Amino acid sequence: MRRSPARLVIALSVAAVLAVFILYTSVAGAGTPQIQPSDLARHQAGDVMLVGRVVGAATGDAHASGGLHFVLRNVQGDKSVTVPVSYSGTVPDLFRAGREVVVEGSLHNGTFVAKPGSLSTKCPSKYAPAKKST
Amino acid sequence: MAALGRAALLLSFGLVLYALVAGTLAAWQRRRRLALSAQNALIAAFGSTVVAALVLWSALARSDFSFTYVAEHTSRALPLGYRLAALWSGQEGSLLLWLLILTGYSALAVWLNRRTRDLVVWVVPVLAGVASFFVFMLCFISSPFRTAAAPGDGAGMVPSLQNPYMLAHPPLLYLGYVGLSIPFAFAMGALLSRRTDERWIVVTRRWTLAAWTFLGVGQLLGSHWAYVEIGWGGYYAWDPVENAALMPWLAATAFLHSVMIQEKRGMLKVWNMVLVALAFCLSIFGTFLTRSGVINSIHSFSQSPLGGWFLGFIVVCVIFSVGLIYLRLPLLRTKTKLESLVSREATFLYNNLLLVALCLTILWGVVYPLLTQAVTGETRSVSKPYYNFFLHSFGLPLLLLMGIGPLVAWRRASLRALGKTFVVPAVAAVVTGSVLIALGYGSSTPGLLAYTFGAFVAASIVLEFVRGTRARRALSGGSWPAALAELVGRNRRRYGGYLVHASILMLAIGIAGSSAYQTVRERGLHPGQSMNVAGYVLTYQRLEQRQESNAVATRAVVDVSRGGSHVTTLHPGKNWYPVEQMPSNEVSIYHDPRNIGDLFTIADQIDAKSHTLFLKVLVKPLVNLIWAAGFLFVFGALVAMWPDAVEQRRLAERYAPGAAAA
Amino acid sequence: MTIALALAALLAVLAVAFVARPFLREPEPVSDRLDELSDLERRRLELSEERDRALAALKELEFDNRTGKVSDEDYRELVGPLRRRAAETLRALEPRAGARHERISTTR
Repeated sequence: MRRSPARLVIALSVAAVLAVFILYTSVAGAGTPQIQPSDLARHQAGDVMLVGRVVGAATGDAHASGGLHFVLRNVQGDKSVTVPVSYSGTVPDLFRAGREVVVEGSLHNGTFVAKPGSLSTKCPSKYAPAKKST
Repeated sequence: MAALGRAALLLSFGLVLYALVAGTLAAWQRRRRLALSAQNALIAAFGSTVVAALVLWSALARSDFSFTYVAEHTSRALPLGYRLAALWSGQEGSLLLWLLILTGYSALAVWLNRRTRDLVVWVVPVLAGVASFFVFMLCFISSPFRTAAAPGDGAGMVPSLQNPYMLAHPPLLYLGYVGLSIPFAFAMGALLSRRTDERWIVVTRRWTLAAWTFLGVGQLLGSHWAYVEIGWGGYYAWDPVENAALMPWLAATAFLHSVMIQEKRGMLKVWNMVLVALAFCLSIFGTFLTRSGVINSIHSFSQSPLGGWFLGFIVVCVIFSVGLIYLRLPLLRTKTKLESLVSREATFLYNNLLLVALCLTILWGVVYPLLTQAVTGETRSVSKPYYNFFLHSFGLPLLLLMGIGPLVAWRRASLRALGKTFVVPAVAAVVTGSVLIALGYGSSTPGLLAYTFGAFVAASIVLEFVRGTRARRALSGGSWPAALAELVGRNRRRYGGYLVHASILMLAIGIAGSSAYQTVRERGLHPGQSMNVAGYVLTYQRLEQRQESNAVATRAVVDVSRGGSHVTTLHPGKNWYPVEQMPSNEVSIYHDPRNIGDLFTIADQIDAKSHTLFLKVLVKPLVNLIWAAGFLFVFGALVAMWPDAVEQRRLAERYAPGAAAA
Repeated sequence: MTIALALAALLAVLAVAFVARPFLREPEPVSDRLDELSDLERRRLELSEERDRALAALKELEFDNRTGKVSDEDYRELVGPLRRRAAETLRALEPRAGARHERISTTR
């Protein structure tokens, strides 16, 4: 009886999927690092996702030319480490002092310059979806 | 009263433990009365869980703040409906809901199949094992019946949860997630009882379809909720918690298709066992993701102690299923081979491989931060570009296969026959594609491909109904509607399935239109100023403020016109909730019948002093097809699930006990 | 509190009674053995499923031919083996065909 081609199909498909996968990761890079303010020194180049807690009041206007300015501190570890952030774009409603936020961007001259619209917050209570900006 | 709740849960724990131990012993030693006793214990566990749930519900209804859970999740000002829905708005309560549904389903499944004793005798301990984990968590790790001195008022419910979606979305999802435990238990039961027949598939067919439908509808409701309530202009963010429901749904979709091959051809037995175990394990993994806070998510809770327990349970489930499948491999061997790479079996196989590939790439994306942290010490994450890439790579071929599959015959399809059946759909696709390119839709390749493939699928589905009705009419005469009704009635699974395919097609077209061809503009406006977006002119008139029952509502009045004539007035804005000290975004949407799409406005920023409005506007063509698809999806699934008297008789005769030849 | 405890006790008693019911109804049963499917029954089930599969495949093949999915030529080629398979399983399932069960199962 003829051998079933099913196994061949499966093997080829798995190989094809892996090939697509490897192609993607080699071209687009393997993900964006998620770091705290204290790790920024090690990530001077390339975009990162900065996770931190908002310290104090924010100043400026996210939709004006100057942008919104706020300070983030470490969530874990040395909580005294902070970094100033400059952001423009949609600000989630839940954004305020004390909230944990995630913002994408890179460090320039000591200030974390965020990609527009990349700010998102986590809601403090359980089972509550927080606002996303995009 | 909390004592009654605690006692009821402890009783449930004792009962499911008994069902597990006694059930295993009874199955192993073939003891009939002990098996019945274990079965009764599983059924009784549902009863005691109902009591526990009623205790918590009554506490919520009465605003009994001596229950810590009630104080943490409700307040006096909260309407009754939301107070009752708070059962599932928190960790402990939602675990209780899971257990309630699990024990309910288990009791029903075991009761309905009580005559298939040799199968059910093993199903009981498997279900009891799953239930015992959840009861253990509720009794000893995360109890909803903790009490403390009652505060004057509760903490209230987060504003974004205070809407009708909260009443439906979590229960529907749970009915889906938990429903996947039943086919899993019957599959493992079949392996444990060394049954090589299809009984477990036959009895769980509707369970799987129902669970899959609930999970699909639950997700769609969640997306709609996010779209209109959270209002960032999207409906799916590839958030880990969203993916947590999508992954088991994809695995269950693959399973629903491949069991058809096992029923028709007796093939893919091992694959089906693997798929049902995968779907079940992913459903547990899904709830682990949602609860443990282990992966950064906008949905996630604070780091909770449950994570470790859930992970341990998942590991046990994986080892158990893989081990059992491996041990029973000799039983699952089949003699039937795939005869041709061009056959319906083969297209089902390709469909399965694509679905599982998509499921696994999403899984990889979800656990990537954990893996990178463990391996390199640094957390890295993937986001939209990663998921979109694979959605296009696997989703578009899947869409096309949806159209190809029905056109191909079982066993072997000759290329000539294929050529004939493919002509009309292929022409439809080519014509659609050409017209779209001429109209400028070539700006997005995935969008164009989605529309083109969609035309192929639509033509293929319509042809199936037309050809089938014509053939039925030729056989039995009568009018076209009568022939159509008879056609569907005689093969509900197939034609119900085609209706479901049509709904997925609508979903795909809606997603393609609203993402690939959407227009986004944002501008700061003073009163009287306008902005143009995709043919609409939006003029910001003024700000209005009003007091609502539990919030202060600020709204911008925005007039919308097109071609010089007034179309509608929109009121995007924000609410402020004084009790919860939280704002919420209130979007304003105009449903445009011309493109079945939406004009979506968000008041990104409102300056109450200067009355400046930062307005974000999205024009999303065809987005309402996504929601409409939900109705067709449910209808199609109901048709497919509808009992068929002829089939029931045949199955009853097949499985009638004691009808063996002497 | 007392009501809660009383209700809990009642619940427990009911549960235990329900769980013990099989033993209470049949304290001295004739047989406490849980029937297993005999080899003959398993074989019969397998054959029934094969029969149903073959018959369903025939029906579907015929319908596919009517709707044009399967050409007349392909139909003629595929229908023969399917009919033979269906006939074989029907024969095997007849009573007083015990000897044939063995013959069929060994010739495949």
